[in-house]
This record gives sequence, structure tokens and C-alpha cells, in this order.
Amino acid sequence: MKVAVVGKGGSGKTTASAIVARTLARHGLSVVALDCDSNPNLGLSLGVGDDETERLASMREALDEGQEEHTPGWDQLIERFGSDAPDGVRLAVVTRIDNPEPGCL
Amino acid sequence: MRVAFVGKGGVGKSAIAGTFARFLARRGEPVLALDSDPLPGLAYSLGLERSDAPIPDDAVEEKAEGDSGPRWRLRAGLTAAEAVEAYAATAPDGVRFLQFGKHRGDAGRLWRSQFAYRQITRELPADRWSLVGDLPGGTRQPFTGWGNFADTVLVVVEPSAKSLLTGRRLARLALAADRTWRIVAVANKVREPGDEQLVAARTGLEVVGAVPWDEALADAEQQAAAPIDVAPRSAGVRAVESLVERLSAAPPAPATDQEGVA
Repeated sequence: MKVAVVGKGGSGKTTASAIVARTLARHGLSVVALDCDSNPNLGLSLGVGDDETERLASMREALDEGQEEHTPGWDQLIERFGSDAPDGVRLAVVTRIDNPEPGCL
Repeated sequence: MRVAFVGKGGVGKSAIAGTFARFLARRGEPVLALDSDPLPGLAYSLGLERSDAPIPDDAVEEKAEGDSGPRWRLRAGLTAAEAVEAYAATAPDGVRFLQFGKHRGDAGRLWRSQFAYRQITRELPADRWSLVGDLPGGTRQPFTGWGNFADTVLVVVEPSAKSLLTGRRLARLALAADRTWRIVAVANKVREPGDEQLVAARTGLEVVGAVPWDEALADAEQQAAAPIDVAPRSAGVRAVESLVERLSAAPPAPATDQEGVA
């Protein structure tokens, strides 16, 4: 099963995603929760806490800045950019742009 | 006054920005309200029935081969003030409104819109026009250029963990930008004593306004109506009025004293 959750900001995407992920895990599935938001907060809703959520975000940031090597495969990605959440959910933060770049304007 | 509202999606940027623009206009200042959010919502909060007011494609032209300057600009002879006069919708209290962020199918049109936005915010006479910008939600887009017109960045934060964390990230990004602007927080959906202090502590920003949790504002959102029209005496609307008064009385000081970042 591969589920993507979308919607307007503040409508509850992150909260719903976290509950779905943990519920599936409690049913015995192996669950990877991917935070693809440029402003990644899924760690908070999964229950890994503020510091760990920011640590994962910083890891991704270091990648953007070229201070980290990217991983060659999905399993290493989940290992390097991930964290264990309750109920056995594996969380990985897979996007974030932290520094303003003259990209859009 | 040139203010930009930023914050996590759903914290109430549009509702506060729209109400803010209306009160500012009631003080007698010409106000241009700018929506650069790809999920536009500012028009309704201003009291407009239609949600769209774009700069038309034919008002923007591509520079000729070999010319210097930006790739697109307002067509020859069209000034920023004339573009506002011609294309901006007029909301109650005389607020003018332009919509820039909405995706209209292809990247070329978005580019035209973004260049027009940049030119209008830069060239509109600062001593005459006040600008109120409702910027894209989240952390990725606001400081890629949408916020450059602002002398004051208002980070809207509600007392939830996700919004507080986003507010902290936005404060960091705004401070890191090569700008001298005042960066302050507005606490929204405040329910308890201590919420305002929580916002200050977690973002590291001065909290210049606290808007209480207000069912009337939520109802206005549901009706796609302007809070200032449907709930003019509600606590939320009055809190935004106080914010306008406070910022009008205290011109922005650059953020140079905040952590030494110029």
C-alpha cells in the first residue's frame, strides 16, 4: 500500500498521515512515513518530538547545501535520513529547502 | 507601511492580512493588498466576491533580444501605479487587490505574473502606497522574492507545535535573508494566558499582536466572507485593529539588533 496525503495548509494532512501510519503499524504492517513537505513537521505528529524532528530536517538541509553525500538507494536513505517512531513506524524526511535562493523571482 | 504576512498554512494569514488591509485603508492610506499564495484566500477576507484579479498577460512584455534588465516587465508606457489603477480589484474601504500567486496553467504565465509583482512592488511610490502582502504558506517560498517589498515581516503563529516550529524556521530564514526588515510575530488563535509568551519564547520574536481564538473568524472563513464585515465587533477583528494601530504608531526598526544580523 502506498498512500499520499494532500490538501490545503492547516487542513490536517500531517496529523492524518501520522495517525494512518501508526494505525497501519499497529495492524502489523511495516510502515515507512515519508515527510515530503518543504516544511517538515510529521515527526511532531508521529511522536518523535521537537528535537528529533529538527535533527532530521537539518540532515536534509545539509544535503541541500552539499555538506552531505546523498545515499545510493532507498534503504540507505531511510537509514540515514530517518528515525524510529512509536509503533515501529520508520520516519524519513525526504525534502526541505532551508535557504532562500533566487529561484522563483 | 509595507507588511508581509508569513506562517504555516492554515494559521490565519489571509484572514488577518485582509482585515489588516481594511483597517489600514480606513486610516486614509491608499492600500494595495497582494496575494502571492498559490492557494489564494485573501480576496474573500478583504470582502471581494471574486477571488481573482490578475495582471493580464498582455500587460507584461518580454524584453527584446539584447536589451538589459529583467526578462519581463510591464509593457512600455505602463507604470506601476497605472497598472494598479487599471487591473486591481477594488474592495470595500477602497483597498485595491491584485492576485499574483495563482497557477494559471503554464510556467510562462506564472513568470510574467512574478515579474509584474516585483516591478509593481518596487516602483509603486512608497510615500503614497501602503502594501499588505499575503505570502505563500510554509517555509519554502516566502523568502524567494515574494517578501522583498516588505519593511516588516509578520510571522503569524498559532500555539500548536507545528505552527511554532514553522514560526521558528521562518524567523531564522527572515533573519538570514540579506535584508533590513523588522521581523515580528503575531499570535493567532490564542486561547489561554501564556500562549502569547509561548509564541515569543519558541520563535524568539517580539509578539506585536495577539488575536484570540474566535468562532466569528472561523464562521467568516466558512462563508468566504470578510471578518471585518460579518463580525466587526468580534474580539478577533478588534485585535487586528489594535495591531494596525500599534504598527502605524511605531515605524519599523530594521532587524539589525536581532542576533547581529543586518
